[in-house]
Amino acid sequence: MSTTQRILPKGVAEADFDAALNLFRDTIGSESVLTESEQLAPYTKIMMAGDDADYIPSAALLPNEAEQVQEIVRICNQYKVPIWTISTGKNLGYGSAAPGATGQVILDLHRLNRIINVDPEVCTALIEPGVTYQQLYDYIKEKGYKLWLDPPAPSAIAGPVGNTLDRGVGYTPYGEHFMFQCGMEVVLANGEMIRTGMGGIENSSSWQVFKWGYGPYIDGLFTQSNYGVVTKMGLWLMPEPPAYRPFLIQYQDPEDIAEIVDVLRPLRIAQIIPNAVVIVHTLWDAGTHVVRKDYYNGKESIPREAIERIKADEGIGEWNVYAALYGTPEQIEVNWKIVEQAFSASGKANIMYGEEAEKRGGGFEYRSALMKGDMNLQEFGLYNWRGGGGSMWFAPVSQAKGSETKDQTELAQQILGKYGFDYVAEYIVGWRDMHHVIDLLYNREDPEETQRAHDCFAELIDEFAKRGYGLYRTNTEFMEQVAGTFGEPLRNVHTALKNALDPNGILSPGKSGIRQ
Amino acid sequence: MKLTRRALLKNSFLLGATAPLSLASAFAANPASVPLQGHITLYGHDQSTTELGLGLRQLGLQPRYEGAFNPLALSALPTGTLAAGFTDESGIVLLTSLLAGRGRLLALGRHAPDQHQLLSHRGPVIEPLAIETGSWQASLGREYARLALTSDRHRHAQRFQRTATTASGSELSFLVQL
Repeated sequence: MSTTQRILPKGVAEADFDAALNLFRDTIGSESVLTESEQLAPYTKIMMAGDDADYIPSAALLPNEAEQVQEIVRICNQYKVPIWTISTGKNLGYGSAAPGATGQVILDLHRLNRIINVDPEVCTALIEPGVTYQQLYDYIKEKGYKLWLDPPAPSAIAGPVGNTLDRGVGYTPYGEHFMFQCGMEVVLANGEMIRTGMGGIENSSSWQVFKWGYGPYIDGLFTQSNYGVVTKMGLWLMPEPPAYRPFLIQYQDPEDIAEIVDVLRPLRIAQIIPNAVVIVHTLWDAGTHVVRKDYYNGKESIPREAIERIKADEGIGEWNVYAALYGTPEQIEVNWKIVEQAFSASGKANIMYGEEAEKRGGGFEYRSALMKGDMNLQEFGLYNWRGGGGSMWFAPVSQAKGSETKDQTELAQQILGKYGFDYVAEYIVGWRDMHHVIDLLYNREDPEETQRAHDCFAELIDEFAKRGYGLYRTNTEFMEQVAGTFGEPLRNVHTALKNALDPNGILSPGKSGIRQ
Repeated sequence: MKLTRRALLKNSFLLGATAPLSLASAFAANPASVPLQGHITLYGHDQSTTELGLGLRQLGLQPRYEGAFNPLALSALPTGTLAAGFTDESGIVLLTSLLAGRGRLLALGRHAPDQHQLLSHRGPVIEPLAIETGSWQASLGREYARLALTSDRHRHAQRFQRTATTASGSELSFLVQL
């Protein structure tokens, strides 16, 4: 089947779009305005259960400078051309580099990739949106700074700005990324540029060290939103500790999740264990390097018998806790005794570190790398678990209480089971909260299975909301539905802000369910 | 398979790819010397890749074998470089993601036991893969060589029934230009 019809932005006449494209070319150069199908094809790759035809861009723009972004939004206002902003475009499973709707123009900021400053004394960085974790990591290594990053799982190719703006998480003590952001430069929809926090003071030396500035704190308005285009962002970096001890705790019973969380909570709140701990289910731990069909090839959820075989073959638990201690060797010894004592109480846990942990199957090696901010792409192996290119992250939040995690686990397994999907999941433990991250993996090449995945995801959202659980983040196909679960009064505020800051609705329409 | 950058580079060296990587670095440092006409970088490590290379050669392209697909090495290749090969699901995700704003996705193939699905951004696929003689991979190579040289820029999706096979899993192929 051939496709020759030209894609246009919604509501924009062909002549107007051509005029806008010509102005874009004048602004950033013809080679930075992409319109050919084969150039735009990488921006159409989605993994969520949506229709491919709903996520095709009309063009992609690749500016090099923040000033060019200002001019681009002025042109967009003139011709009412909607743009969808991406940083490095690695929001895989949440919409990837595709637009929020067909016809939107991709504003791809990956060429804004300058590391403007890294200060090894106050441990801060100021970077542009196209900077990747690998790039910043290499820069820090080259300079010989004793600083750590906090990358998410697709670390090398993703970037700190995009991940932080989507409120992503990592695995070191700096795991809650937005908490460690400090200062932004933002291009507003009218083309004006602002700096948040202390950035408004000319020649301020405290832009990257003091978040709040003066007056209302507005950085949060530019996360998971469409109120501006962030062109620079400050972040805090973790000083390399004198010693580091990653460890693994395995539990074998599905019911053990409640005990794990209740033991962990006080240790996390008191910062005995300071990092974003993960509690990984068997199928996630194995799925990074094992293929499903080697154990089960049915259409239904993988049966308990197969899960037990994987556990035995791989030497992994039903729940696998990856955590780490940081500090001086003396501090680590003291804290290790506290951790051992806490987890040993019930006699169910198998606690290990060092060589013993390395010998176990599962993900100890790459988890250890991630918990110290090293680059790693091992988790991409999950896409081979079921095959077919379908992946959607279902990520509800809960309190760090065993009763809630037990409830969420059972509910998720019940709904996934009803639709024939596997529970491939982990909990990421914050200070007081949990991100319950489930990868709904399915065969996107099978239309029936894709529809089933769509229905399953929609039901997960609704049923979790009924029990008081909301998502911290979702993919573009389900942004409207998730926004609805947070109530109309909040949506009305979001809409009022949108109308005030972007009256023509040109910036990422539909992001987080926010439109005019 | 460990996919850290360090490990990938190490794997490439172990697979004997030292020279191509070094050449790639040299080309990257001297953009005026590339692209080399008729050259195509070929990824994969089994019989399918060998046959794909055969098909590419039959249409005049000169494949340079790089071993297992290393998506991160793509960024070191010079602008204009053609690349093709076979990879797995995670490789396709990385490939398409890394190409955004950096290259052209000319064609993708999903080769299941019962059918071939080809998505081309260079117009219709002419040579059917359900062939009477020779391998479907060589046929695919000839088709990819033709698509690499055509001036057609239309998107085209096509499915072919596959002749009887004992294969159990899917193979994923790609043709891209940096």
